[in-house]
Amino acid sequence: MNRGTGFRLPSCLLRLAWLLCAVRADGLVNEEVRRTLDLSTHLAKVSAEVLVANHGASAVQSFTLALESDLAPHLAYIGASVKGDEEEDNSLALKETSIQGRSGTFFQVQLPSALAVGEKLRVKVETVFTHVLHPFPSHITQAEKQLVVFQGNHYLYSPYPTRSQTTRVRLASKTVESYTKLGNPSKNDEVIEYGPFKDVPAFSQDAMKIHYENNSPFLTISSITRTIEVSHWGNIAVEETIDLRHTGAVLKGPFSRYDYQRQADSGISSVKSFKTILPASAQDVYYRDEIGNISTSHLQVLEDSVEVEVRPRFPLFGGWKTHYIIGYNLPSYEYLYTLGDQYALKMRLVDHVYDDQVIDQLTVKLILPEGARNVHLETPYPIVRGPDQLHYTYLDTFGRPVLVATKKNLVEHHIQDMVVHYTFNKILMMQEPLLVVGAFYILFFTVIVYVRLDFSITKDPAAEVRMKVASITEQVLTLVNKRLGLYRHMDDAVNRYKQSRDSGTLNSARKTLEAEHRALTNDITALQARLKAEGSDLAEKVGEVQKLDGQVKDLVCQSCQESERLVAGKVKKETYITSEKTLAGKRQELIARIDGLLDAL
Amino acid sequence: QNLSFQLNYPHESSASFSPNMAEHHTVSECKHKANPNAGGSLSGNGLSGGLTQPAGWQSLLSFTILFLAWLAGFSSRLFAVIRFESIIHEFDPWFNYRSTHHLSTNGFYEFLNWFDERAWYPLGRIVGGTVYPGLMVTAGLIHYLLNLLHVTVHIRDVCVFLAPVFSGLTAISTFLLTRELWNQSAGLLAACFIAIVPGYISRSVAGSFDNEGIAIFALQFTYYLWVKSVKTGSVFWTIGCCLSYFYMVSAWGGYVFIINLIPLHVFVLLLMQRYSRRLYIAYSTFYIVGLVLSMQIPFVGFQPIRTSEHMAAAGVFALLQAYAFLQYLKDRLTKQEFQTLFFLGVSLAAGVVFLTVIYLTYTELGCLYLYSVYAKIHIPIIASVSEHQPTTWVSFFFDLHILVCTFPAGLWFCIKNVNDERVFVALYAISAVYFAGVMVRLMLTLTPVVCMLSAIAFSSVFEHYLGDDTKRENPPAEDSSDEDDKRNSGNLYDKAGKVRKHVSEQDKPEEGLGPNIKSIVTMLMLMLLMMFAVHCTWVTSNAYSSPSVVLASYNHDGSRNILDDFREAYYWLRQNTDEHARVMSWWDYGYQIAGMANRTTLVDNNTWNNSHIALVGKAMSSNESAAYEIMKSLDVDYVLIIFGGVIGYSGDDINKFLWMVRIAEGEHPKDIRESDYFTPQGEFRVDKAGSPTLLNCLMYKMSYYRFGEMQLDFRTPPGFDRTRNAEIGNKDIRLKHLEEAFTSEHWLVRIYRVKKQENRQPLEHKLRSVLAKQKYTSKKKGKKLNKKSV
Repeated sequence: MNRGTGFRLPSCLLRLAWLLCAVRADGLVNEEVRRTLDLSTHLAKVSAEVLVANHGASAVQSFTLALESDLAPHLAYIGASVKGDEEEDNSLALKETSIQGRSGTFFQVQLPSALAVGEKLRVKVETVFTHVLHPFPSHITQAEKQLVVFQGNHYLYSPYPTRSQTTRVRLASKTVESYTKLGNPSKNDEVIEYGPFKDVPAFSQDAMKIHYENNSPFLTISSITRTIEVSHWGNIAVEETIDLRHTGAVLKGPFSRYDYQRQADSGISSVKSFKTILPASAQDVYYRDEIGNISTSHLQVLEDSVEVEVRPRFPLFGGWKTHYIIGYNLPSYEYLYTLGDQYALKMRLVDHVYDDQVIDQLTVKLILPEGARNVHLETPYPIVRGPDQLHYTYLDTFGRPVLVATKKNLVEHHIQDMVVHYTFNKILMMQEPLLVVGAFYILFFTVIVYVRLDFSITKDPAAEVRMKVASITEQVLTLVNKRLGLYRHMDDAVNRYKQSRDSGTLNSARKTLEAEHRALTNDITALQARLKAEGSDLAEKVGEVQKLDGQVKDLVCQSCQESERLVAGKVKKETYITSEKTLAGKRQELIARIDGLLDAL
Repeated sequence: QNLSFQLNYPHESSASFSPNMAEHHTVSECKHKANPNAGGSLSGNGLSGGLTQPAGWQSLLSFTILFLAWLAGFSSRLFAVIRFESIIHEFDPWFNYRSTHHLSTNGFYEFLNWFDERAWYPLGRIVGGTVYPGLMVTAGLIHYLLNLLHVTVHIRDVCVFLAPVFSGLTAISTFLLTRELWNQSAGLLAACFIAIVPGYISRSVAGSFDNEGIAIFALQFTYYLWVKSVKTGSVFWTIGCCLSYFYMVSAWGGYVFIINLIPLHVFVLLLMQRYSRRLYIAYSTFYIVGLVLSMQIPFVGFQPIRTSEHMAAAGVFALLQAYAFLQYLKDRLTKQEFQTLFFLGVSLAAGVVFLTVIYLTYTELGCLYLYSVYAKIHIPIIASVSEHQPTTWVSFFFDLHILVCTFPAGLWFCIKNVNDERVFVALYAISAVYFAGVMVRLMLTLTPVVCMLSAIAFSSVFEHYLGDDTKRENPPAEDSSDEDDKRNSGNLYDKAGKVRKHVSEQDKPEEGLGPNIKSIVTMLMLMLLMMFAVHCTWVTSNAYSSPSVVLASYNHDGSRNILDDFREAYYWLRQNTDEHARVMSWWDYGYQIAGMANRTTLVDNNTWNNSHIALVGKAMSSNESAAYEIMKSLDVDYVLIIFGGVIGYSGDDINKFLWMVRIAEGEHPKDIRESDYFTPQGEFRVDKAGSPTLLNCLMYKMSYYRFGEMQLDFRTPPGFDRTRNAEIGNKDIRLKHLEEAFTSEHWLVRIYRVKKQENRQPLEHKLRSVLAKQKYTSKKKGKKLNKKSV
C-alpha cells in the first residue's frame, strides 16, 4: 500500500544524521528518467519512470524521492512502485524525511530487496498535485475561455544526478498561449515534449511555465462529511454532505441565460452536471439540500455500480459554489463481517464523487451500533482521529459510539477501504424490540388503570347514591318485566287449557306462576327496602308498582278461575267473554299505570 | 344516548322493552369519553364495558371510526408529499417554518425576543411581538419532545406533517362537539365529514404549515368546552375552555370569531329567557380568565380591552352581571322596591354609557377614523390578495359539495328541538355563513359547522330510514334550564336524554313507510355520501395539493416535468451572493426569499408597512435611472422578479404589475399615475401598442431583457410572450445600472445585480467634523439600541 502525505515529521528528524550520510554515501544515479506531466484536468499528475542504478560502494536498501518546495504543499498523493518484468507493479513503502540544507520535501522509499552494486532497478513514481493550475486571467466573462498557468520544473527534482531525461507534458487543448522553451521542445497538438536532457546534476531546478487553455471542470470539494451509520438489523446508511466550489477563473459580469442556452461555447468552463458512482447495491438514493429535493438528477443502475447524474440546481460558474447532501442505503451483509461477538466493517473511507475529484477537507463519521466496544480503526493511509462522540437516534438509550476522522487534500487515489473492528454483544439486539414492547405495555396498562380506577378529585356522595339508585331501579325494572312476562305465560297456559281442557297442566302452570311470582315479588320488595335505605323517593313508587302488580295478579288469577269455570261449564261462553274482556281491560289499564310509574323511575 | 336502535338486537328475541339496555349503554358511553371528569364520576358502579356487552362494541366501534377518520384525513392530505416531496408550501408557511426553525435552534425566549434584521430592510421586524406564536411553539414543542425521545425527526418534517395530524384532532373535537349537540352517531358522521371535506383540506394539506391548520382544531375544541361548560355550569369545564381559547389566541387572529360568538350566544340566551346560573358561571369565568390569558400573547397585548372588536364581549359581561344582580334582587325585594331600583339602575347605566361614548369619541372613535383612512390607503394592498375576494357560489359547492345542501336541514332540526347549545350552533352557522360569503378565506370557519349540521341532518334521516322503526327514539329534547333546578351534574344530561319505550308504543305504526321506500332513501343517501367522498378526494388531489414552489407539467405521454426554477434561483442567491446582500422583490416573494435564500428582503408578505411597499412598487414602475436612485437609497444589491413569458406561467410579475402601480400611486401620486400604463384605449398591453411608460419601466425591462432575441417556437416571432400571447413591444432593452446576475432554467426567476457606482461623486462641501462619540463601542450595544428605537 502506498503512503500519503498526512505523515508528518517528528520521528524523521531523529534519523537526520543517518540519512545525510546515506544520501551522500549511497552513490545512486538516475540512469534514465521519463517524466510525464498530465495537465489535462484541473490536477497536475506527475509521473516519472526512473531507472535507478547503484554506482556506489555498497548495496542500498532505500532511496530518496524529492519534491520541489513550491509544489510540495500541494501534494495530494505520492506513490512509488517497482516496475517488474511482469505487468503487476509492486508498490513500495514511503516515509517522509528531510535533507539538511536542501529545500523541499523528501520521501525515503524502502526497496523490496537490497540493490546490489552495479545493479539497476526501474521505479515508477506517481504524484498528484492539487490547486497548482492557476487560472490566468483570474476573472473571465461568460463568453471567454479559461486559461491556466502551470509552473513547475523542467527536470526531475532528485537528490541524485541524472544521466538522461525526457519530459512530456500533456495539456487539455491545442491552444497554448506560451510555454518555456528550454532545449527547443517539440509541440504536437496537446503534447509538449522536452528533452532529452543529459547529465543533470542533483537538485537541479529550472522553471517551467505553461500558459494554456483548460476548460475542464475545476471542481473542488471544499468540504465533505461522510457519515456511515451501521445497523445490525441489516442496513448501512451512508450520507455525504458536500460543499462544492468551482475553483477556476471567476465569472466576471453578467450571467446570461440566453447565451448559455443558445450558444454552445458560452460558459464552456462551467459545470452543468457530473456523475457520481455509488456501490452497486446502493438503494434509496436521495439527493437534496436545505430547501428540499434537487429534482434535476437522474439515477442509472448499472451492473456493477449505481450512477447518479448529479446536477446542481444551477450551473456552476467560476467562483460559484453549491452545497448538497447525497445519501443511500447499503445491505450490511456485503460490508459487515462477524465472528461470534467480533465484528469487522470494511468500507471505503472516501468514495467517488466525480472523476478527478479534489477534496480539501474530509470528515468521516462512523456511527456504530449502540453497545459496540473495543473499537479499532484501520485506515489505508494516516488520518487524524478526533475525539469519539455519541449519537442518539431512534430507540437509543445510552448512545451510539461515533468515530470521527479528518483528512485534508484527497484525490481519487484515496478511494480505499478501511476496516473497523469492534465487539458487540448480540443480546443487545433485543434491547430495541423490548423497549417498544415495554412502551406499549405501559400504554395499555395505563389505559387499563385509568379506566378501572376512580381518579376524581372530589367524592360526590349524591352522585354515588344516584348511581346506586339507578342500578337498583334497573334491577327493579328487569324484575317487573319478568313478572309481566309471567302473566303472559299464564295467559298462554290458560288458552292452552281452554283447548286441551287438561286441568293438570293448568294447575302446574299456576303453581309455577305462584312460586316465581312470589320469588320475584320478594326480590322487588328487597330492592324496595334497599331503595328506602338509600333514601330515595323512588321506593314509594316501587311500592305503588307492587300494589298495582298485586291487583294484576289477582286479575290473572281471576281470569284463570273464570276459564276453569268455563271449561267446567259453569258459565256460558258469552258471559265468559264479556268478563274476560273487562278483566283484560282492567289489566291493560293497570299495566299502563305500571308503565307510567316505571317511566317515572 | 340515542343509539339504542343499534344495540337492541341481541335482545330482540325477548320482545319486551329493555330499559336496562339503555341504562347500560348510557353509563358506559360516558365512561369512554375522553375526559377525566366523566370517567371519575361514573366509576365504581360495577358496569364493565367488555365486548360481551353491546356498550363495549359501541365504544370499540366509535373508537375505530374516529381512528379511521383520523387516518383518512391524514392520508388524503399527503398528495403533495407523495407527488413531490416533504416540502413547505407557498408563501406564509415559509415564514412560519423559518420562525419555527429559529425557535427550535435558539430556544423560546430567544424566539420571543427575535428581531429579524433580514426582513423589511432597513426597518427590520420584531418577530416575537408580531406573530401568533402558537403554531411555531406547537411545532417546536413536538420537535423537542420527539428529540427528547431520540426520535431524530427534522424540524421541517414536523412542520410539514403538523397540519394533517391536527386534522385528526379536529375530527375528534368535532365529534365531541356534535355529540354534545345531538348524539353520538351524528358526532361520528361529523368527524368523518370534517376529516375529508375540501374546505378544510385546502388549508391543512401536508406542507401547508399555516396558522389555520391548528386553529380550526383550537376553535372546535374551544366551542366543545364552551358547550360543555354551559351545559354543566362547572368551573372546571370553563377553565378548560379558557385554556383552549388561550391556545386559539396564540394560534390565529381568528380568535376574534370566538370572542364575539360566545358573547352573542350568551346575549341571545338572555333574550330567549334562558338565563341560568350555569350560564352565569360559564360566561363570567370564561370572560375574565379568557381575557387575562389572551393578553399574555405579546401580539395581542392590550387589544382585548382597547379595540372595538372585543367590546361586545365586555358589554355582554356587564349585561350578564346586571341581569344576575337583578335576578338576585328580585327574590329579596318587593315589587315596588324592585321597580324603583330598576329605574335607578337603568338611569345609572345610561349615564355610564353616555360617559363612555364621550370618552370613546375622543379616543376610540378617533382611532376608528384613523383606521378607516388607513384602510383606504391599504385598499389596493388588501384587494390585491386573491383570498380576500368575495366567495362565489361555485366555490361553496366546490369546497363543501353535498354538505352545503344538507346543512340547512341540520340547522332546521336544531332549531326545531332547540336548547341552549343548539342556539349556539345556530348562531355559529349563521355568522359563519355570513363571513364565508364576505371573504374566500373565511370559508374555513364555515366548514366545521357545515360538517356538524350536515351530520345531524344525515344522522336523523338515517335514524328514520335505516333503523328498525320500532326502536326509533325521539331526539333528546331535554330542556336544560329545568334540569338545572334539580341538580348540577354532568351525568344528569345523559340520563335525561333517555326515553323509555313503552310496550304499548310498539304496536303503533310509526309512519306508513314500506321497506321499499326505506331502502330507496337509504341507497340515495349512501350514494350522496359516496359522491361526496369521491368529490373530496378529487378536489384535494387536483386543486389543493400543489406546493406552488415546485411546478409540474405533464407531457403528452403522461410523463412529468418538474419545473424547479424557484428553488434554483433562491438557492443560487443563498449560495452565491454575499451573506448580507439585500434583495428587492415584490412582497409576494419576501417570505420565500428569506426562507429559502436566507437573504435580506425589503418587503415581505407581512404587509405592515404600506409606504415601504409603495416605494418598492415605485422603483419597479419607474424608469431605470429613477429606479436606480430609489434602489441606491434602499441599498439594494439584487432585484428579483418572476417572469412567466417563456413557459406561460400566469402568476408572474407583469400580471401583478398594475397592483404595484396602484400601490405606488397611493403613496406617490405625483410620480406614478396608473393611467400612464394604459394605452389611450385603456388597455394594458405589453406589445408595440403598449404605453411608452410601461415599455420603459424597470419591471418591463427586467422581465424582457434579452427576451426579444429569443424565439420559442417556429410559428411565433422572436420575443413572443406566451403568458400574454403577444410579441413584446420593446425588444432592444439595454440596462445601464443593472446587469443580469442569474436567470433560472425556464426564465421563471430573473435576478439582476445593481451595479455599484463607478466613481464617487466629488464632495461639494467640506466634510462635517463629527465629534467622536464613544457611546456605542460594542456591536451588541448598538443592536440593543436599534431594537429599542424600532
